[in-house]
Amino acid sequence: MKFLLHPLLIRLSRIVSILLLLVLLGLLARPIEAPAWKAVKAGQSEMNLEAFEGALGQGLIIGVLGGFRAILADFLWIRTNIIWERKDRAKLDSMVRLVTTLDPRPDFFWINGSRMIAYDVPNWRIREEGGYSDVSEERQQAIDLEQSAQAFDLIDQALNFHPNNARLYLEKAQIYLNRLKDDANAAKWFLKASQQEDAPYFVGRIHAELLRKQGLDAEAYDFLKNLHIELPNTPSAQKGIILERIVDLEKTLEIPPRERFMPSKEPLVK
Amino acid sequence: MNITDSFTRIRLIAGTTFLEAVRQKFFNSLLLISIALVASSTFFQQFDFGTGELKFITDFGFGALFFFGSILSITATTQLFFNEMENRTALTMLAKPVYKLEFLAGKFLGAHLLMLCFTLVITLVLSGILYWREMVLLERLGNELTSNVSLIRYGDVFLFGFLQWMKFGIIAAFTLFVASFSNTNLYTIVVSFFMLIICQLQYIVRDTYSGMEAGWERILVLGLGLIFPNFQLFNIGDQLVFDVEKAPAVSTVLQITGYGAVYSIAFVLLAQVNFRRREI
Amino acid sequence: MATPAICIQNLTKDFAVGMRGMKLRAVEDLCLEVGDNEIFGLLGPNGSGKSTTIKIILGLLEASTGNCEIYGKPSKLVDARRSVGFLPEAPYFYRYLTGRELVRYYARICMVARAEIDAAVDSVIKLVGMTEAADRRVGTYSKGMLQRIGLAQSLVHDPQLVILDEPTAGVDPLGSAAIAEIVRELKRRGKTILLSSHLLAQIEGLCDRVAILHRGKLVREGLVDDLVQEKDAESLVVQGLNDEGRAAVEAEIKAQGGRLARVERPRLSLDAYFLKEVHQREIEHVTQQEGGEEL
Repeated sequence: MKFLLHPLLIRLSRIVSILLLLVLLGLLARPIEAPAWKAVKAGQSEMNLEAFEGALGQGLIIGVLGGFRAILADFLWIRTNIIWERKDRAKLDSMVRLVTTLDPRPDFFWINGSRMIAYDVPNWRIREEGGYSDVSEERQQAIDLEQSAQAFDLIDQALNFHPNNARLYLEKAQIYLNRLKDDANAAKWFLKASQQEDAPYFVGRIHAELLRKQGLDAEAYDFLKNLHIELPNTPSAQKGIILERIVDLEKTLEIPPRERFMPSKEPLVK
Repeated sequence: MNITDSFTRIRLIAGTTFLEAVRQKFFNSLLLISIALVASSTFFQQFDFGTGELKFITDFGFGALFFFGSILSITATTQLFFNEMENRTALTMLAKPVYKLEFLAGKFLGAHLLMLCFTLVITLVLSGILYWREMVLLERLGNELTSNVSLIRYGDVFLFGFLQWMKFGIIAAFTLFVASFSNTNLYTIVVSFFMLIICQLQYIVRDTYSGMEAGWERILVLGLGLIFPNFQLFNIGDQLVFDVEKAPAVSTVLQITGYGAVYSIAFVLLAQVNFRRREI
Repeated sequence: MATPAICIQNLTKDFAVGMRGMKLRAVEDLCLEVGDNEIFGLLGPNGSGKSTTIKIILGLLEASTGNCEIYGKPSKLVDARRSVGFLPEAPYFYRYLTGRELVRYYARICMVARAEIDAAVDSVIKLVGMTEAADRRVGTYSKGMLQRIGLAQSLVHDPQLVILDEPTAGVDPLGSAAIAEIVRELKRRGKTILLSSHLLAQIEGLCDRVAILHRGKLVREGLVDDLVQEKDAESLVVQGLNDEGRAAVEAEIKAQGGRLARVERPRLSLDAYFLKEVHQREIEHVTQQEGGEEL
């Protein structure tokens, strides 16, 4: 039994007892840790490690896992900007995806990434192929469609994380409108944007305008009437402009005076 | 053991520990570097990120607090403990009617107080910079923004600071635990850093555990997950500060605080197990 | 019989060295008793177990076997330390505090009543002769001053037993003499003093009793006079004797059955000589200065 008193064994037994105490503590702390961890984990966006393991390397992966995910995404975004300045479109696409995978939280990355892909890359590609004067209209359109599809794909992914973010819908609407000149789809996405809680007031007006452009005056008239009722009486809601459009449309649609829209006389709220 | 007297002694030891710590060049340089780093986040204005700039500043500030705070927590606690040992002020102190646990608790609280000071300075600097940039941005982008309310929840900046401080408490306590059986400064710092990394990453092991088949490996993984505290619990900076995200529930914050307190006390008590036998 | 200040019985202390846990015996079967109001010297070369013994008395180390009590209380109890003041060898203190703040801090640690703190601090600072420098930062103190302020902090809670570990190591003879005088004053105030040293000359005239340790074992213990006096010899110190007188004295010693063992000139210890010379010059210097000021 003397060997049990050997200093090495005594030391080992101390280490084991401390470890056992820690395990016991871990078990005792579980009732407060488990619900808190569940809540914290629910707030953290899922990460697909394999997606950027190759791009980041082991050192940065540990940083990402250890809690420096957001700040690494920030630095990579700055690098993305440098790549964008160099017009390196091959790298740009993968960088935008890497940054948004790392930190999908801010809509800023998604929106700016999709703008680069939808607006800037087509310009670079057209220039690479000889410039706007030499590249055919069809080819230019094909490039625009290709790039817009990539940008839409990015925004669709963003919508998984931010399903109620009006700015994402708005971004899609603007690509349709400005790059693809597709009024019908643009109107559809402006409408979706206007249905979000944080939608800017002008979105609804643009939707109505696009309906008018497509000759859908009656739909535009109905939409504007509802919009006028729904919007608050604040100066930034620009209800005066909406009313002007309604009056214009009533003339165009020849609405009888009795059926014309009568706005409520509520005072403006500043 | 008179509890009131005990608390008085702990308070006195903590007070001198703190005073000694704030006089250390290391603390002051680290504090200055951290402030400089947080302040340098204003460099993001150059990129004209719009409101995104605020996110960059916040990430930078939180990152600096987390990174330098962890370094300071480990090094300052080690330094404060070994200073007492090497200069033999611990000998003078423990030759008085002072319990070794009171001495350890005093050292821990002194180090924790130092971290409170560090955390407060960093969060105040960060909030100041955020407020300044927010005002500038609101003025510039005012018309484009849908609502003119504040872009930042400043309470969350301090909430994050508070939770990080609770985590620094665990770090200081386990550093004290390592110091209680180690003979050198360097050994304590290296082992404590390893523990920090393990605690920071142990959640991955736990995630793996749920997908493992029963067996020895599963028991090992379960054990690892139980031995080391889960530091990811305190990493809720990603969910704070901005209006778009949902702030964590009060109950969650209280649970995390409790978790931090339980582990800090436990590690100080474990340090006492070793320190009791240590030659001063 | 009064309770002894320190009672050590069969004390052994082993240290485990290295990973394999080899035992190193620092103190072996030590039995020692220090009576109340005694100045007791613990002597021995470096590594003889003095510091280990002191640490066990202070409860900073646990004995492997054996007992150690302070005024009847086991030394490992914190309560036993209420009646103990300790000055470590070459003490180091928080440099940013002033001497007074430092002593005050330790007074509070020892739970000296708030109403009594100021008086207690002033009194010990005066006792150790640090009144002039009490409001200077400890970082600016010389070694001797550090030793004195260290002594002050060890006395501030009015302990019955004062333990001084190498109190005069590294201190100049003047400082050492001052510390010795403080120790004597403490004895006059009824305190018990245990001091360890390897500077024997300084201890000799100070201690009532000493114990000599060697390699952890007690070699000798007893009253200083008992230990160093030659029991079978006496010395006569004679002045003004010529050769014939001396021959007559030698013959008379022989006639009385005695034997003249050796003849030597009595000498002062260098320590005593140094102190005498320096003191004399110090007095002359002060007198001159005072005279100058009066003019």
